[in-house]
Amino acid sequence: MDQKVLVVDQQKCTGCRQCELVCSVYHTGASNPSRSRVRVVKWEQVGIYLPMTCNHCEKAFCVEVCPTKACHREPEKENRVVIDRNLCIGCRTCIIACPFGQPFFDAQERVTVKCDYCDGDPQCVAFCNVKAISFVDADRVQMAKKREAANKLADLLKQARG
Amino acid sequence: MGTESVQPIRSAKYFRPQQEWKEIIAIYLYLAGMGAGSFIIGILVHWMGAELNPLSIPFIELFGVRLDLAKFPILWGPIIVSIGAPFLIFDLGIKWRFMYACLNPRTSWVARGFIILSIFIVLGLLILAKSLFPFKWLYPESGLWLIPEGIAFAFAFGTALYTGILLKATKSVPLWNTHLLPLLFLASALSTGSMSIILSTLGTGLLSYNSEGMKVLMIGEQICVVLEGIVLYLFLSRRYRASEQGKDSVRLLMTGKLRYVFWQGIILLGFVFPIVLEWISKYYHNSALLFIAGLSLLTGGFFLRLGVLHAGIKDQIPMQRLMEIQYDMKRVH
Repeated sequence: MDQKVLVVDQQKCTGCRQCELVCSVYHTGASNPSRSRVRVVKWEQVGIYLPMTCNHCEKAFCVEVCPTKACHREPEKENRVVIDRNLCIGCRTCIIACPFGQPFFDAQERVTVKCDYCDGDPQCVAFCNVKAISFVDADRVQMAKKREAANKLADLLKQARG
Repeated sequence: MGTESVQPIRSAKYFRPQQEWKEIIAIYLYLAGMGAGSFIIGILVHWMGAELNPLSIPFIELFGVRLDLAKFPILWGPIIVSIGAPFLIFDLGIKWRFMYACLNPRTSWVARGFIILSIFIVLGLLILAKSLFPFKWLYPESGLWLIPEGIAFAFAFGTALYTGILLKATKSVPLWNTHLLPLLFLASALSTGSMSIILSTLGTGLLSYNSEGMKVLMIGEQICVVLEGIVLYLFLSRRYRASEQGKDSVRLLMTGKLRYVFWQGIILLGFVFPIVLEWISKYYHNSALLFIAGLSLLTGGFFLRLGVLHAGIKDQIPMQRLMEIQYDMKRVH
């Protein structure tokens, strides 16, 4: 299976927002984080930062609700979910449907945009200094995710027990 | 625009409802619902052959043809829907591309909506045109007209229901993800539609205040308002228990930032004022009060759509919940 996915390690993220910057430069040519396909969600009071990118879900709500099929899956390219900007009508139904706060409405182009893995070479991964975002094989990430979730749960339980 | 700052404390102060669909979509939902509701009631009045008084309507000539306005005050619903439909197009990022949605009818409810509304508008306007133009070659008395009327009647129901289905189909907003929402919008479409027919027939003198037809219409409208109230109660109570975000949406609507929209816009204008004023107008035989009650009910119908749209809070992703737990841990230690 050659499907690859973006994996975020929230513990490593420092909230520098370099990923937002390089994403917007790569996709739009402008150094404008508001046009980026990745957004850093922050819990400032406790210093928790979480870069949110598209999960290219197996059962993608954005694909289901798109009225023009602009939002579609490309099985030949890492099974990614992409939006064809030439077909998008800018109805923003996909934004409301996505539970992960993804796609974004590009106010300049008047269409919805989302992560497309930068055609196989995600710039957010290449430029993340602390390696908080990685681009790995999907079958590898399942084990890593399970291990990570188990570790997190163990940590939380330890903290809860004092 | 900076990074997205999220408040980990679950308080009505920090609720983050969806920001994508706002007033323009509320206007679209309202006009489509009210227009479809008024057509449903109007065609029922037409089918039942209520005693109308067309003499009270002034004559209008268009290109030398004297228009027959006798049925216009009960069949104008498709005009309202055709005024409302462009609001959905105004809200699109690239407006001219709405044609793409029309060309892909099976893809989603937005696309199906274009088809449902288009069929209703075309058939509804055809029936309205038949009633306006006194051409004999249209055979206005022919029983065959019952076929397009019946289809338009069914599509009017479809249009009224569709306004709720459109929101329900987005799935990730728990407040909207219920069968009760299309039902609520249908009930609201029927109550606002019947009230708009009362106002138009009363205003044009097609039905007098004391006529039998008006009495039946008013009873029907009051039943619709009561039914709408029951569905609204069921909708809110079920959504409150559905999920955390459903509960947050109901709290946002009833006690949060949208409380004025809910209590003053939806409850007072949409339910209390119309019922009380109609009762007083009946008691004193005062038709002016009925007009005020009607305008109040119609305004309340708009606020219902606006409130439901603005209170839509998305489902929380598991990661966000994990963050909340971590935040609470850090605060404790």
